Amino acid sequence: MSDGEIVVSGLTKRYKTLLAVDGLSFSVRPGRVTGFLGPNGAGKTTTLRMLLNLVTPTSGSATIGGSRYADLRDPLRTVGAVLEASSAHKGRTGINHLRVICAAAGLPKKRADEVLELVGLTPAAKRKFKGYSLGMRQRLGIAAAMLGDPRVLILDEPANGLDPEGIRWMRGLLQGLAREGRTVLVSSHLLSEMELLADDVVIIANGKLLRQGPMGEVVTSMTTTAHVRVRTPQADGLTAALSGLPGATITPRGDNTLLVTGVEAPAIGKAALAAGVELHELTPERPDLEGVFLELTAGKAGIR
Amino acid sequence: MRLVRSELLKVRTVSTWWVFGIIALVLWALATGVNWISTAVLVNPPEGTPNDDAQFNAVREAANVAANLYTSGQFFGLMIVMLIGVIVVTNEFAHQTATTTFLTTPRRTAVILAKLAAAGIVGLLFWLGTTLLNFLVAPLILGLYDVPSQLGTSALWQAILLNGLAYLIWAVIGVGFGVLIPSQLAGTITTSALYIGGFFAGAIVLNLLADKFGDWWNNLQLIVPPLASGLLVTGTDLPGSPPRWSGAAVLIAYALVAGVIGTLITRKRDIS
Repeated sequence: MSDGEIVVSGLTKRYKTLLAVDGLSFSVRPGRVTGFLGPNGAGKTTTLRMLLNLVTPTSGSATIGGSRYADLRDPLRTVGAVLEASSAHKGRTGINHLRVICAAAGLPKKRADEVLELVGLTPAAKRKFKGYSLGMRQRLGIAAAMLGDPRVLILDEPANGLDPEGIRWMRGLLQGLAREGRTVLVSSHLLSEMELLADDVVIIANGKLLRQGPMGEVVTSMTTTAHVRVRTPQADGLTAALSGLPGATITPRGDNTLLVTGVEAPAIGKAALAAGVELHELTPERPDLEGVFLELTAGKAGIR
Repeated sequence: MRLVRSELLKVRTVSTWWVFGIIALVLWALATGVNWISTAVLVNPPEGTPNDDAQFNAVREAANVAANLYTSGQFFGLMIVMLIGVIVVTNEFAHQTATTTFLTTPRRTAVILAKLAAAGIVGLLFWLGTTLLNFLVAPLILGLYDVPSQLGTSALWQAILLNGLAYLIWAVIGVGFGVLIPSQLAGTITTSALYIGGFFAGAIVLNLLADKFGDWWNNLQLIVPPLASGLLVTGTDLPGSPPRWSGAAVLIAYALVAGVIGTLITRKRDIS
């Protein structure tokens, strides 16, 4: 399972008046969950659809394990994709939806039962799709993606419509699949979920790449200065003690809280001890993914 | 081949086929009733009917009366089969299953060919069904008017088999139109209107032109597809009408054009 790398290179899609994806390049490694992030309208779905040969790029290329999707000999055995929750005929039962795919892909019929079991939909197998809740539809989509036991999984907003229990289930499933050496690419705008789920992130806005890399690196790369939150009943005393430290900037935050930048927490603690100032809290603040994301995409979201 | 099986499974696992089957059955009963009446008129023409009209006399030949009954239900049957062809394609867009279908099979030409084959098979099944019904009913009606069953006449069997060809071709035309008009509502309404409207408008306009400018204009029946399929089932060639094979050729040409244009469009279309 070493050749499941996704490589997007100079990918561009121009609609009549809109440049939806603009010279986008990134790569996605096997064995990890990669989060694909961007504000609404950033071009995430268009990018995934170009990767899967559903939309023709204006220029550039996207390959999976070195081949374009259209050139894969057995696409379902290589790539499983979940694109929108509602892609089944309303009047067809869940099990029949999967059997239709099995027939077209030359997979044995029993795979349909197996993947339904995997996603916990066996009790609803013979129910028509129109009777499925949004969460059940997502599960059916994941089941369809797993039919060919693919080494690459591509999911567009899979957490939409799942309840907290369902989200936790999906997180476990995707992380387990990545640990088996598969490539997992998940687009989402749910940042908190992505922080728990993804090992790597690719962040785009306006169809352009903003940042890509391991989650931790991307988050820290945004941390130019350390922030430390300090709470003390003697704010004035602490301000006086810290003003002697080179590079320290002190911003009062009210409620006996100061935000200190330019000095690490141990140095602040030491200065407070030397000055005899009582501390109630000393917290180094790391920007989270949400902060990074909002900073990177500020002013780039919305209707284009 | 597995794509055709998948497409047939798609048809089989939703209610469309039996809903259309019931509609086809009702329309077949209606058509057969009308044909019963016309049989009565043809066998015992009312007083004062001129007996020197070559076409009328040809239609009255026992083989052709029988052909009309054994291919009863063609007009609406073909429309139903065409609509099934339209729906086989437009379902994919109406229910957003095109994504899944083209993910499973990125070779889009193969998908359309499978749909053509599956719709053709369904079309032939509808032909088989109505033909079996006609085999039950036609001998009874013929018997009422003391016309022999005609089952030994080759003209009758030609009509029955050409009728099957018409069912096959109209299913293919339906698929072609489905690709051209991916919206299900627009696709079904447009094709039905063209089919029914084309039949009546074509017949009326050509009749007028033939009356005014001469019988040559009747040959243009050929280029109006619903009239062309009627030619296939007349039994023997009728005087004043184009030969039957030409009707088949024109229909096949329409089916090819619809199928090829549809395939080319599908290959290029963005699925989103």
